[in-house]
Amino acid sequence: MTLTGRFVLLVALGVVPIVLLGGTPEEALAVLGGWLLLALVLGGIDLALAASPRRVGISRVLPSRVRLGEEVTSELYLSNEGRRRLRGIVRDAWQPSAGAGNNRTAIVLPPGERRMLSLTLRPYRRGERTAAHVTIRSTGPFGLWARQATLLAPARIRVLPPFHSRKHLPSRISRLKELDGRTSVLVRGQGTEFDSLREYVRGDDVRSIDWRATARRNDVVVRTWRPERDRRIVIVIDTGRTSAARVVDEPRLDTAFEAALLLAALASTAGDRVDFLAWDRRVRARVQGASGAELLSRMVDGMALIEPELIEIDWTAVPGQIRAITGQHALVVLITPMDAPGASTGLLSVLGQLTQRHTVVVASVTDPAVVDLVRDRSNREDLYRAASAERTMLDSARVAAAVRQLGADVVTGSPEQLPPALADRYIALKAAGRL
Amino acid sequence: MSTATPTFSARSSTPTIRAALRRSAFWLVAGAGAIVVAIIAFLFAGAGGTAGPPLAADNPAPVGGMAVVEVLRQQGVTVVPVNTLQEAADATGKAGNATLFVTDASGYLSSEQLADLPGLARHTVLVDPDFTALQALAPGVGFGGVSTADSLDADCPVAAAERAGTISPGGKTLGLPSDAAGYTGCFPSGDAAYSVIERVTADHTLTLVADTAVFANETIASFGNAALALNLLGTEDTLVWYLPTLADVPVTGPPSLGALTPGWVTPVLLLLFVVTAAAMVWRGRRFGPLVAENLPVVVRASETMEGRARLYARGNARLRAIDALRMGAITRMAQAAGLPRTAPLDQVIRSVAALTGRSPDRVHAVLVGEEPAGDAAMMTLSDAIDDLESATVLAARPPGSAPGAGDSPASPPSTGRMEP
Repeated sequence: MTLTGRFVLLVALGVVPIVLLGGTPEEALAVLGGWLLLALVLGGIDLALAASPRRVGISRVLPSRVRLGEEVTSELYLSNEGRRRLRGIVRDAWQPSAGAGNNRTAIVLPPGERRMLSLTLRPYRRGERTAAHVTIRSTGPFGLWARQATLLAPARIRVLPPFHSRKHLPSRISRLKELDGRTSVLVRGQGTEFDSLREYVRGDDVRSIDWRATARRNDVVVRTWRPERDRRIVIVIDTGRTSAARVVDEPRLDTAFEAALLLAALASTAGDRVDFLAWDRRVRARVQGASGAELLSRMVDGMALIEPELIEIDWTAVPGQIRAITGQHALVVLITPMDAPGASTGLLSVLGQLTQRHTVVVASVTDPAVVDLVRDRSNREDLYRAASAERTMLDSARVAAAVRQLGADVVTGSPEQLPPALADRYIALKAAGRL
Repeated sequence: MSTATPTFSARSSTPTIRAALRRSAFWLVAGAGAIVVAIIAFLFAGAGGTAGPPLAADNPAPVGGMAVVEVLRQQGVTVVPVNTLQEAADATGKAGNATLFVTDASGYLSSEQLADLPGLARHTVLVDPDFTALQALAPGVGFGGVSTADSLDADCPVAAAERAGTISPGGKTLGLPSDAAGYTGCFPSGDAAYSVIERVTADHTLTLVADTAVFANETIASFGNAALALNLLGTEDTLVWYLPTLADVPVTGPPSLGALTPGWVTPVLLLLFVVTAAAMVWRGRRFGPLVAENLPVVVRASETMEGRARLYARGNARLRAIDALRMGAITRMAQAAGLPRTAPLDQVIRSVAALTGRSPDRVHAVLVGEEPAGDAAMMTLSDAIDDLESATVLAARPPGSAPGAGDSPASPPSTGRMEP
């Protein structure tokens, strides 16, 4: 039960009769008592006539998934199962991060009828966003007092990673096609395999003329080439404590997701098989054996719920996990921070094992602000900060050198640069036939 | 993608009034019990307490005067408790022959009003008189201090005192100088100090009783207190028991604020309280429970770097800081000079000196040798390193490429780009 502003106003209006009629204190007190009694009686009648907020049927229509940054409409259907006309306000109690904005809606619901309340959600955090209940405040016909009840109406919507880096996908796919025999630019190399024979057209590389086939026909025939297909790619994302750190206001983990999604989309288009593993001390997400659209949808689905854990990643188990995914040679992409030699000992200790069997790329997010800080040496504080920034860069350069020494590749970049840089490295490796 | 849940009569998490009452039944019963216990305790405490006005006719507390009043009533005396001088005058005037009992512990009465008292009744008993009262009614009588006598015997020709014999020792006394005429002092204690003084004139008898103990409920039963009290007060059919109150204080000056305030002000204030309470319920009533949200922890990646910078600054680690800058600069200069990553330092110094045309000793001093003695030296050295680096990059650049860009230092290696 609750009051409305109208009731407060009604009580406050009692000033008028008290001043006008209350000559003596006794009369004025009598008028006051009378007015309060009147207000209470009116409120009581109002409350008695208000529709029950409990006798309301609820159903929802809601997409199960939405990309972060996109809008989605949540539809809430309320049906009046009581016998009185329900007037009031409805609150659809979403979590704040679901971005429901003003989630209070006035409603008039005649008995036996159903109304839809639509609410635009604009979630601003990844993961599972939930609504717990619906609160209905039903006011009486005079609008003085109201009945209120909270009805359990759970709902959930999964907010997927935004995949901003998909804007890089078309350009990378066209570069990938340049490797393919379908374009006029023919790239030959170790990483390509024989595709088909076709007639010579002007501009083709004379070195690719297949003389034996030419001899069989009356025409000059050239071989076409295409990049290798059906290679294995294993993406391993570190979800340990260091991935929680923010670089340019984005957790490293989210940048890792962007890079992994772009690489998966590209490799899946190129016909390679992509497996995905999010790991710290246990498997947080694993996508195996999917391809095409299903691969991406399963990846974002798995990523949506991952938050950085407050534990150190267990690198020693990573080779075993990769072996469980594939026994063949594969391109293993480890997306992990690479900051200090001390923190990277775990990674370096297992890298040797991995590079023996696989082609390994270690991708890492760097802070672009560090480079600017090195330049700024205007006063003592800034100089020390520049020295510290330089130290940070030297440290990561040392780790990168150690990683290269163990036979792995290193890709670093700021949050915007890392996903396309990783994609470029994949294309380069593919062209070089190192998959 | 969209999922529709079937319509269901939603279960309410807000309890109905009945359920809420049932759930909080224990606390309601406990609260009611506590209130009942508090009321009972208050009643008992009130009955046995020492509160209430002293010598009031209806006060059963130890300091009250209900005992003597009740006994007098049983003896057929009409006791009329009054609170103002006007009421006292009315009561005595109606009764004809009356005894007037007055005690003014708070000193409400002015000397004019006190002077009117003897005219009201034939016999006036004034208990515990203050200075004003003595000045107005018995100018010859003064104060005698606290009695130190072990016993107080009547020792005087006043009939009531003689019948009483003794009264409880101690208490206040009144002083009666030897030259004061017309007064009879009773219950003496030492020099000219008496507990009861009487003055009889032609049409009026004034009895001054110095201490309230004679009439108080607590002490009336001891010694001859009761006899003295009953004999003093029970002589006439009517006893007017007058305890002055604030109403006796004459109104002076302009009318008070209360008299000027219109009648509706207090009710309007009360109404405002009610309105405030209602408004608090209106604005304060929560629209359903809150929904919990796990908040992310914000950790900036540059925090360790900032922390290390502050450690350097606090420890004045000049050499360490400048060495870090030197190592970075050497790496970049080696890159610019086209040397391998693993090139030894001497070779880098020679190449840089050759490129920039500076002396190898100077280059060595800037890159390795110098140790900054103070902050100023460190700043200078840092500028020298920067200068050397930009000069090297400028010199290593092939002639004609990007003129004018020489001021800006070389783009940093590794970070922000794909590693080769």
